[in-house]
Amino acid sequence: MRESIKPPVEIRYQKELAALEAADTARKPQNWRLSPQAVRTFILGSQKPVTYQGESISIRKKYFGNDALVERCIITLAGNRGLMLVGEPGTAKTMLSELLSASISGVSTNTIQGTAGTTEDMIKYSWNYALLLAKGPSRESLVPAPLYVGMERGILTRFEEITRTPAEIQDSLISVLSDKVLNIPELGDDGFLFAKPGFNVIGTANTRDKGVNEMSSALKRRFNFETVMPVREVALEKQIILNEVGELARENGIDMTPDEEAAKLLASTYHELREGVSAYGHRIDKPGAVMSTAEAVSVYYQTMISGYYYGDSSIDMDCLVQNLVGAVSKENKDDLGKVKEYFSTVIKDKSSKEGGLWKKYYEARKWLK
Amino acid sequence: MEKILRSKEMAEIVLLPVRHHSPACSFHVRKMIEEYHPSVILIEGPENANELIPVMVHRDTQPPFAIYYSYYDKAGQLSEEKEHYKCYYPFLDYSPELVALKTAGELGIPAAFMDLSYGDILAASKQGAGLRKKEEKNNYNDDYLLSRNAYVKKLCEKANLRSFDEFWEKYFEIDGLSKDSHAWFLDLLLYCRQARESTPEEVLQDEGSLAREAHMADMILQAAAGNFPKTTAGSGTLSVTKRQTQSSDKGNTSSLPLRILAVTGGFHTPALSALLQESSPENALSRTSLSEDTSFQVSSPAAPSTPGRKKSAKKVNSREQNVYLMPYSMEAADALNGYASGMPYPAFYQKVWGKSSEIPDDCYRQTVLDLLVSCGKEVRRKEGNLSTYDEICAVQMADGLSALRGKSQPGAYELFDAVLSSYVKGEYTIATNTPMLILRKHMTGNAVGKLCSQAHVPPIVQDFEAQCRRFSLKTGSTLETEVTLSLFSSEKHRKESCFFHRMLFLKTFYARRVKGPNLQQQKDRNLIREIWRYKWNTQVNAALIDVSVYGATIEEAAGSLVKEELKKEIGAGACAILLTKVFEMGLKEHLQNVYDRAQELIRQDTDFYSLADALSHFKMMRELSSLYQSKLNFDLLMELTIRKLISLLPSMAAVKDEDLGRCMDAVKLLYQLTKGEIREEFFEILIRMQKDAQIHAGLDGCIHGILYGGGWEDSALVEQAALGYVQGTKEQMKKTALFFRGLFFSARDLIFIGGQILNMLDAFLQQTETDAFMELLPELRMAFTYFTPREIDKIAEKAAALHGRSGRDITKLKEIPPDWYAYGKELDTYIGQRISHVTV
Repeated sequence: MRESIKPPVEIRYQKELAALEAADTARKPQNWRLSPQAVRTFILGSQKPVTYQGESISIRKKYFGNDALVERCIITLAGNRGLMLVGEPGTAKTMLSELLSASISGVSTNTIQGTAGTTEDMIKYSWNYALLLAKGPSRESLVPAPLYVGMERGILTRFEEITRTPAEIQDSLISVLSDKVLNIPELGDDGFLFAKPGFNVIGTANTRDKGVNEMSSALKRRFNFETVMPVREVALEKQIILNEVGELARENGIDMTPDEEAAKLLASTYHELREGVSAYGHRIDKPGAVMSTAEAVSVYYQTMISGYYYGDSSIDMDCLVQNLVGAVSKENKDDLGKVKEYFSTVIKDKSSKEGGLWKKYYEARKWLK
Repeated sequence: MEKILRSKEMAEIVLLPVRHHSPACSFHVRKMIEEYHPSVILIEGPENANELIPVMVHRDTQPPFAIYYSYYDKAGQLSEEKEHYKCYYPFLDYSPELVALKTAGELGIPAAFMDLSYGDILAASKQGAGLRKKEEKNNYNDDYLLSRNAYVKKLCEKANLRSFDEFWEKYFEIDGLSKDSHAWFLDLLLYCRQARESTPEEVLQDEGSLAREAHMADMILQAAAGNFPKTTAGSGTLSVTKRQTQSSDKGNTSSLPLRILAVTGGFHTPALSALLQESSPENALSRTSLSEDTSFQVSSPAAPSTPGRKKSAKKVNSREQNVYLMPYSMEAADALNGYASGMPYPAFYQKVWGKSSEIPDDCYRQTVLDLLVSCGKEVRRKEGNLSTYDEICAVQMADGLSALRGKSQPGAYELFDAVLSSYVKGEYTIATNTPMLILRKHMTGNAVGKLCSQAHVPPIVQDFEAQCRRFSLKTGSTLETEVTLSLFSSEKHRKESCFFHRMLFLKTFYARRVKGPNLQQQKDRNLIREIWRYKWNTQVNAALIDVSVYGATIEEAAGSLVKEELKKEIGAGACAILLTKVFEMGLKEHLQNVYDRAQELIRQDTDFYSLADALSHFKMMRELSSLYQSKLNFDLLMELTIRKLISLLPSMAAVKDEDLGRCMDAVKLLYQLTKGEIREEFFEILIRMQKDAQIHAGLDGCIHGILYGGGWEDSALVEQAALGYVQGTKEQMKKTALFFRGLFFSARDLIFIGGQILNMLDAFLQQTETDAFMELLPELRMAFTYFTPREIDKIAEKAAALHGRSGRDITKLKEIPPDWYAYGKELDTYIGQRISHVTV
């Protein structure tokens, strides 16, 4: 029985990380669990398996897309600046930041979740008031927050959705990132926390609803920005869907192999609606909703669960289209109309030219309402 | 090296594979030549460029420059179309072929090109393949076969590199500089062999590679037998030092075996090696240790011909081939600009090359640093938000990435990544990509090459210079100068104008007309003077060389280009415009050709507007023919066009709104130009068109006007037709304005006759509601634009009279006092408040 729904990356890939660590001979920056080369291998995979305690462990590719971007991220984290991952929702920014943290610091849970209500004490530190009253301000009564923890232990601090926090809260990072010191005035002369080597910040920001434009230029200067683009190849997107869904199914004890043809169908639907042009060259009205690969994965997974518990363990096109409706008609009711149009032009053409599953997919358009 | 010199009777051949525009390659080529000191160097390049070598290696010649090859298939040997062919062979400072030539020159070693001449390569290639591809610019040394194949793709995937260029940079450039030359060439050869094996034989056949290789192998064997091509790099203007003289003598003495060094694109080396081995069945060729299978010994002086070589069936006429040197630019040499070959980013590698001899172990890092600084400086100037710390971070990024990627120094790709992560702030979009654009520009560079004064001047450039002298035009200065020409009063000026027009037609960017009659747009035809501004620079010469394939003089080239244009599938309108250009260029002997082609096109063309354009141009040219001294019979062309237009006219009834103006122009033009029988036919068609229920209201009005003008309709009929719209159903009524627009276009005098039309318009305006009126207003305005101001005044007066006013009354309207407005506003607010009060 599993103990948690989604174990952190360092637990999920425990063996891979241990194997890479044992085999790692390259130079490591201080306090890094793995060398930059091994971090790269962990994230981008390797064709050669690593032998660990007599077992051959293969390192799977975990992040698909731009390899050079991953390399730049690793080098940025070894340097003096923070790393800011920006991009559309569902482009695997969070996953990449978890993978980086787990492989560099061995822990991916030292995280600040940015919201409109995030305050400075959620980032830096707060106090255990009982102890504070009993013993006065001391390290004992101080409750460290992720930034404090990162600096104290020399590990990475992840800051999710940084642009959702108010600008003045974001700016509290400026001095920490440039001077690598946190001032705790309450502790008097001892109130300086100097960051240990290995500390750095990975921020993620969504460009869809609240962009990075509002971020102060002083803070921007403390980060290297990496723009994560959506996957541009249908084949790759299909592969991601298959991998992710396979993983989810395994973790949840669903004994069902993902159907490749259905994954291709979904991948091309998402791809075409996102790009606004079909493989045959039809011009398509783009829906306003986020058409990310992550969304496609969730649509596919839901369909798979329905098939597993209620159906005959196959991917049912009716159910797929129903889930697709749920995924697209979130923000704007016009979006559904656009998907309908897409079915009555592109999918219609494909069903007549390619037949098979496409035909069933087209027939399932009745659920688009 | 000693091992090769085994016996005095044997000649040695060493094949060096190279990649074009590769600094590491040049570095090793130079080292190899200095070390090996061959007796003769043969280089891949069409042999008919041998005479250019002294200029290429001259110290005053500055790369980038290109050898320009041209061939005119006058006899139709290659294809029935008898086309003009041209291609470029660009050289940068660090092109291995140029370095080989220069080093040969310095050491006094004879050097020559050994490939088939350009024309023969064309003859050996299949139409549409290799140098016969239909491209804007064909490149002689296109080594795409080396970089685009399935093997390369796999290799890059395995090495975690994004492209062949990155692969090449990592393994051959950055690491290559510190390697031993022998080992470096062996690595390259291994790679080339694999690339060659991944290329299908048919491709090689189609591209003419096999024929070229056979020829090159032959040339090598010829050289081994002691038959050198006459041209040598050493025979130029270079001073030969004592040591060099000695070594040169040593190389040519018969007491020592000949040592032949052949420098070819890496893709050909394995094939040449195989051919050379096959050439000696008795094993006269034996391999030696230099680079296992690219160095040979061959019995001298016997020069067996390569076996299995198909002699090129077609030998083209060498008189139709030309070859010149022309200055080239870095932009043109950059592979990423689409048509070049070899490595991209010439300015980047130029810097690397500059530093490679002094600091081979640090030249890439220093170049990356230089570019980060220069690019940073420009970003700061343009965007203003880049700090020195950003630059420090960028350097750290480049270093870090090179370590992570296993490169000993950061290269072009690390430079890109460093700028992307450290200079671009925020999300990467077109609004924030300025640093990347600046970097790209810096990596390409903008240098333009220069040729030494001894460079052979192609006839077309000589002709250009002669003409400039004749017309006293300055060629020494690069300042723009203005000149005014009296087109019709001075014969000399007319000729000068022709010269400018020809230069314009040849796209040399030498002169531009700022004022004067524009026959293409039929504007300013009343002008009798032309004002031109001209400016000379080296690019004008380069552009002239570029068109030299079309002729030895400017007139000839312009004429041939006109012929080329005529071969294209163009419309009658475009052909008529071409005719006007030929008119302006004074190419009298080509007028007839264009005329004949125009006749042909009129028969083929079914585009009404294209034919109408042609007709109006013919009309204009007929009017101007005496001025421009043309004897062409435009009446015939016009009659032909008119007949064709009339036959197409019925299909124009339901013309689209946006085409109405052009259609009415055409109808009016036909009215002006038709006479006799054709005119009757024209009117009959117009009447038929009127009966078409789908006819456009504007065109309907125009036709009524024309029929009225031609006496085929009286004003009563026109008024009746207008009334039809005015009193029509809602949608038809809305077309009234369009109808009047058409009517006034062709017969505006109708409004002054009788007064019925004006009454009708008045009634129409009175019955129209404000909203509908606002909708019609644009068309109504258009309708009245055909009147002169005086006529408008007259109409206004009449219109005013209909309402018992005089035209002047309008100007006497009383001003509305401001307090009236204030009162109105107050009232409005009050009522608004009352209403909201009531509803609450």
